[in-house]
Amino acid sequence: MLEVTNLSLHYAQHLALEKVHLSLNQGETVVVLGANGAGKSSMLNVLAGRIAPDKGTEVSFLGSRLVGRKPHEFPEMGIALVPEGRGIFGDLTVAENLSLGAYVKHARAGEAERLGMVYELFPRLAERRSQIARTMSGGEQQMIAIGRALMSQPKLLMLDEPSLGLAPVLVLELFNALEKIKRTGVSLLLVEQNVKVSLNIADRGYLLEGGRVVGVNTAEALKQDPAVQQAFLGLPGAKSILPANDF
Amino acid sequence: MLLSALLTGLVLGGTYALIAMGLTLQYGVARIMNLAYGDFMIAAAFGAFVLFTSLGINPLLGMIAVIPAGFALSYAIYGVMLQPLARRAKHSGRLEVDSILATFGLLFVIQGVALVIFGANFVSYSYLAIPINILGTTLAANRVLALVLALALGAGLYYALTHTRWGTAIRAVAVSPQAAPLVGIDVDRVSRFAFALGGALAASGGVVVSMYLTFSATAGVVFTMKALVVVIMGGVGNLLGALAAGLILGIVETLVATYIDTGLTLAATYLIFLAILVFRPSGLFGRRPS
Ligand SMILES: Nc1ncnc2c1ncn2[C@@H]1O[C@H](COP(=O)(O)OP(=O)(O)OP(=O)(O)O)[C@@H](O)[C@H]1O
Ligand SMILES: [Mg+2]
Repeated sequence: MLEVTNLSLHYAQHLALEKVHLSLNQGETVVVLGANGAGKSSMLNVLAGRIAPDKGTEVSFLGSRLVGRKPHEFPEMGIALVPEGRGIFGDLTVAENLSLGAYVKHARAGEAERLGMVYELFPRLAERRSQIARTMSGGEQQMIAIGRALMSQPKLLMLDEPSLGLAPVLVLELFNALEKIKRTGVSLLLVEQNVKVSLNIADRGYLLEGGRVVGVNTAEALKQDPAVQQAFLGLPGAKSILPANDF
Repeated sequence: MLLSALLTGLVLGGTYALIAMGLTLQYGVARIMNLAYGDFMIAAAFGAFVLFTSLGINPLLGMIAVIPAGFALSYAIYGVMLQPLARRAKHSGRLEVDSILATFGLLFVIQGVALVIFGANFVSYSYLAIPINILGTTLAANRVLALVLALALGAGLYYALTHTRWGTAIRAVAVSPQAAPLVGIDVDRVSRFAFALGGALAASGGVVVSMYLTFSATAGVVFTMKALVVVIMGGVGNLLGALAAGLILGIVETLVATYIDTGLTLAATYLIFLAILVFRPSGLFGRRPS
């Protein structure tokens, strides 16, 4: 459903992404793993239309081209992003944030049921629906951001390091919620540094290093891959058994 | 005398609150610091004046023409003059400076046209100048009507902004223009709409003012400053704050004029303004900047 070819991105002189190829099938959960500065957030920001990529980049989603579209068109097409730093409306209430999630036209029908589903998924939000969002805890704000994204009835949900800054218990809770979302048929594109939990939920994974894809494989294989262990667990000298780059 | 001063102050304050709501929409949502705001009001006041004196249309009916005209004109001005600035601006600070320069020019255009047509004299018209008895003192019916109109329009706007999805979307852009596209809000479009809505409020403020005050082609700048003071007193983007601050300012000004000296009203305004800027920079009801 999502097909990314030749994605390159420069910030002025700095090359942040270089000829990245990525694909994601309907209903699939894909995780992109990479160290700090690898270009993970840059990639999601391009895929959500928040940054314009270099010329030559092609992104297609369910058959339509995405490059050159305005950022507000992406939720309308069924692509929702939970960005790094969450991007919620801090001065609005929890309920208002969720209601804005259903701002796009196609999400108006069935809004009430979806709200019920979000409240079921995150009961904390139901208890605090009239609280001002910025006064919620970090974990709760992450729930608002994910809940708001779900309200737009996305076909593809992209999450940028949702586990960042959460206590281990909350991370497990969060990934349980993501697992449930996955089971509703939504495709997930997940950027994470938390390798273990994210490979447990993912079907496939990409390794991103210095703006380039250095490996792609099934989640099962990545769990065993010494390159993943080296990159994220600091084990020395391991060499990747994966085919590199051109995928 | 105290009651009469309070009532007069309430009327003035209601008008201040109304026009401050419009300015806070333009500034808080569209990020445009509109220096021509008061002149826009005065243009609408002249509109009501002409409709009343030459066509015999009372200002209540006149509003039905003047408010949409204010909306349409602001919508057009934003599209032609301000949208290019907004698109080009990389950050809101840049847009503020650019918009101040652009609307400063607009101020003189509107004022110039008004001077050519109406001259520099103060004008007024007499509509509903019937005394009404309230708790033992009297107040002209046009002032009572002005207060009722200001409060009704303000309350209607407040309700729409807090209880409808498009109102919430407008506030979302005020809160975080970066995050708004994430839910599919077109920030360009909402900014333009908010600016036009602010223009409609300026126009309604102008009609309200014309019902009970004398005004002239050059009176706009005073209203711009008053609206700005009220917006900052109430906290930028805070509609209820603007309402309360407007009422307070109107009452304080009237009390100073009644009990001390008319010449000191502006001084009192700026004393309050200074105190707020120094001690409560985010407004009477605003939270501390984080
Ligand atoms: N706005 C920007 N201007 C200039 N350089 C940028 C900008 N944003 C990111 N970069 C650079 O691009 C590279 C990739 O950044 P990106 O934020 O995509 O990394 P990341 O993989 O998300 O890292 P992290 O795990 O720390 O969030 C980094 O070297 C970063 O310094
Ligand atoms: Mg990042």
